[in-house]
Amino acid sequence: MEEQACPRCKTTKYRNPSLKLMVNVCGHTLCESCVDMLFLKGSGACPECMVPLRRNNFRVQLFEDPMVEKEVDIRRRILRDYNKREEDFATLEEFNDYLEEIEDIVYNLCNNIEIIETNKRIEAYKRDNREVIQRNKTRVGRDEYALEELLELEKAQEEARKKELDELETEHKKKKARDKQALIEELMYSGKDAAQIVTEFAEKAEKQREEEKQLPPPKNMNEFSTGIKFGQTTDPTLLPAPLSEEGPLFVYEPLIPYIDGPTPPEASDIKSMGYITHMRQETPQENAGGFTAALACQRALQEALQCLYYTPNTGLGAAL
Amino acid sequence: MYPLSSQKRSWTFANDAQLQEFRVEQNTKYIEQHVDEAPGELQEYFLTPAEERLLLKQYEIYLVDFCRRFEPAMPKCVIGTAFSYFKRFYLNNTPMDYHPKEILATCVFVACKVEEFNVSISQFVNNIKGDRNKATDIVLSNELLLICQLNYYLTIHNPFRPIEGFLIDIKTRSNMQNPDRLRPQIDSFIDSTFFTDACLLYTPSQIGLAAVLHAASKEQENLDSYVTDFLFVSAREKLPGLIDAVRSELCCYCCKSFILYIFNLFSEIRLLVKNYQAPEREKVKAIEKKLDKCRNQNNNPDSELYKERLRRLYTDEDDLPAEDGSFHIADVSSDTSAMNISQ
Repeated sequence: MEEQACPRCKTTKYRNPSLKLMVNVCGHTLCESCVDMLFLKGSGACPECMVPLRRNNFRVQLFEDPMVEKEVDIRRRILRDYNKREEDFATLEEFNDYLEEIEDIVYNLCNNIEIIETNKRIEAYKRDNREVIQRNKTRVGRDEYALEELLELEKAQEEARKKELDELETEHKKKKARDKQALIEELMYSGKDAAQIVTEFAEKAEKQREEEKQLPPPKNMNEFSTGIKFGQTTDPTLLPAPLSEEGPLFVYEPLIPYIDGPTPPEASDIKSMGYITHMRQETPQENAGGFTAALACQRALQEALQCLYYTPNTGLGAAL
Repeated sequence: MYPLSSQKRSWTFANDAQLQEFRVEQNTKYIEQHVDEAPGELQEYFLTPAEERLLLKQYEIYLVDFCRRFEPAMPKCVIGTAFSYFKRFYLNNTPMDYHPKEILATCVFVACKVEEFNVSISQFVNNIKGDRNKATDIVLSNELLLICQLNYYLTIHNPFRPIEGFLIDIKTRSNMQNPDRLRPQIDSFIDSTFFTDACLLYTPSQIGLAAVLHAASKEQENLDSYVTDFLFVSAREKLPGLIDAVRSELCCYCCKSFILYIFNLFSEIRLLVKNYQAPEREKVKAIEKKLDKCRNQNNNPDSELYKERLRRLYTDEDDLPAEDGSFHIADVSSDTSAMNISQ
């Protein structure tokens, strides 16, 4: 990978580990110190394309390719105005055309194609659709507001739960202290056997501990803050599919090869009838792979005898 | 298993007439489609089915020569498979559509792959004289076409393993002395079956047995007793629908005629081989000249039409500018000597 470098002062990430590359609307990069120096007055021209720039429009470059940076910038600007949604269109086709138009505009602006015309197009769009844009802007605001509310609610719940846990903890500690005190008092004042009292108390404590274990588990969350449900829900449409009934059990049937020729010798006959004596003995390497001379022999014999009686019209029609 | 193979199901035909029918059909189809290209008499301009046969026969000879001289030396089964592909391809296509010299190399290349004879494409084209880049392009671009025309049935059952089986069986069950001396005769017989349509008409075991019987008769040996006593003794039980005990008399008769029929088959195969005539060079040259004119220019790598089509294909695919020269076929000069396997 090529090292990132400032095109003006040629500093690289290697020489200056704290190098921060900045990018402005024109898509050309500069390092932070060059920006500081060139744009001392707050505005100036890009050293590469001479486009007038403002200092406070410089952003830290997130993507390696400054062109991507530029496109992201343009896209954000365009989408501020082109904020129609699918519901605003009668058909999917129209919505798709609209999306394509957005892509066209972004592409043109990124690649400096017909900039003036494209800008005119945007202006015209803004004029024609002022109301819709305004409405959608407020709608976006409303959506964001609702989301924030949801997050707030979640936070509150979280806090309440934390508090509950804390209380439980302190209660628990107090109880332990009380128990200890009771044990000491019992030992001090009762006339019973000390060992017996200790075991009694130990049993009691054990019992209590078990009870505590059965405390209700934390309430199961089944919703993301965005309102999307997860985990097990009682939604009837999402019930697990009923178990399908199992089919009949597999019954093995021995393979009856279709030969259409003389019956080839069985595997056991290969040796007993002396076929094997005419085969080359397998090498240890071949044997390791599971190949034996008998297998090869049987295969050759089978292939020799298969379909020896074959006639094209399969049967006697042709023969008789 | 040959009995369940696609070779038996789809690529074994009843008789010669059926094959001939396919070939004539392809021929007339091509002529119908290209009838307006002919300047004069159709017979003069297009190849006749007989001329096509002659041409393909010549290219089958080239195919064997090519395989014999192939470096590294290739096993027999590759040759057999390549022949099967070649014959199958031209059952459903005419040489006017696809020139046999291109299909020939592609058949061998695919056969090498299928028979696990590992050669790379560069190694492969080293065996071809002429422009190697162009040959590479032709082989690779025709490869999928060939596989498609074979209906994706690539497994070929060659008669070589059945022959081994018969030799083992003969050694075990008959008292013939040293059956291995039949091998040279068997090999030459199988080589000559390649030039016939045997692989489209008979099963590999039948071809194998015919080869063994032919070799035995050449060596003045008699295997008749082996064949009747061992191979056809069980024919009676094998015959479907004839195990009826009541009609055993008839059954016996059927068996006899069936066996006669099978024997007839072997002599048929041998006759097929015997009747094979090598095509005359002069005639083939005239046909090739004719072919150069009437072949489908869409599939001719030297033609402008083909280059144009290819260029469009490339530009359509990834929006390359048309003058991009990164592919070979378009910028090869009109050198017709590429792929001249024949010389």
